[in-house]
Amino acid sequence: MNELTQIISKSIALFFLVWAAVRLMGKRNMSQINPFSFISYIVIAIVATLMSINLINLSTGFITLLVWAAFPIALDYLSIKSRLMHQLINGKEAVLIKHGKIMEENLMRVRMTGEDLLAQLRSKNAFNMADVEFAVMETNGTINPYFKSDKKPVTMHDLEKMSVPQAEPQTVVLDGNMLEEPLASLGLNPQWLSTELDKMGVSLENVFLGQVDSSGDLYVDLFDDAVELPQPKVKEMLYAAFEKAQADLLTFNLQTEDKNAKEMYSKNYQVLEDLLNKLRPYLLH
Amino acid sequence: MTVASQVKQTLASLKGARGTLRVYSTQTREEEARSMYTDAIVVTSSIIADLESRLQTLELEEPQYKGN
Repeated sequence: MNELTQIISKSIALFFLVWAAVRLMGKRNMSQINPFSFISYIVIAIVATLMSINLINLSTGFITLLVWAAFPIALDYLSIKSRLMHQLINGKEAVLIKHGKIMEENLMRVRMTGEDLLAQLRSKNAFNMADVEFAVMETNGTINPYFKSDKKPVTMHDLEKMSVPQAEPQTVVLDGNMLEEPLASLGLNPQWLSTELDKMGVSLENVFLGQVDSSGDLYVDLFDDAVELPQPKVKEMLYAAFEKAQADLLTFNLQTEDKNAKEMYSKNYQVLEDLLNKLRPYLLH
Repeated sequence: MTVASQVKQTLASLKGARGTLRVYSTQTREEEARSMYTDAIVVTSSIIADLESRLQTLELEEPQYKGN
């Protein structure tokens, strides 16, 4: 019985100790750790296990734990400070494809077969070797391809279209509860939210998720998916209103015989044309 | 519909559009977009002013249709 309580108390103490040690060793994702820290984690885990089931005595265990926790931390610190250390610890990234050609000797160096390379490339959506200009294996083992310029995804820049900066949307309702903090960070208050929800004709309890986009429009998703809500179309309507006004001006311009008025109409027609061009990326996207 | 009432209709929709622009110019978080909307309000206001003065002339020319 005494031994049992000893094991329980030891296990609990070690649980928190190992937890603290692992937290101290860094916050990286498990899939991104280098082989060396992977070994450290395993050694810490095994030593902690052996200690809690009384296979090794406490002082030996603590010293082992201390060394295996402190060394990765020290090496991480060194690798941040010195480039050379970083290369020694994490290794160097390997170029696997250069100018569209596979570098077989580098592939051998990282112990990869052609199939492995193809599989990794496929997971990055590079099914066709001919599309890949360059590929590199990072120190954590992931392969990142760089596509040939004509196979790259299209950007707004390629289309020569003006894009507008957009701030991230803020979630203001979750699970029927109002989130005060994001709402306040937008400079809005609960009254604003209830007014907007009233406009849509829904109550807060029925809203699963509500987001405010960078232009201040509210989007909501309801618990009840059978209810069809009108999605915000204010911007499109605003754009349409300006287009209508522009068409009206053209009509007036054709109808009138007054020379001054004709001039005024055609000038404002042009002004609206410029305005529409400027507003298009903001209102229609 | 007389010309004057047509102009009035356009004027009304432009004023509505200006109101919407004003809402966006206050609630948008992006500084660039906000100044864009403010500029648009100025442009729209100048068009509205032009149309209003034109409307006055029209109503002088056709007083029988005033108020339509």
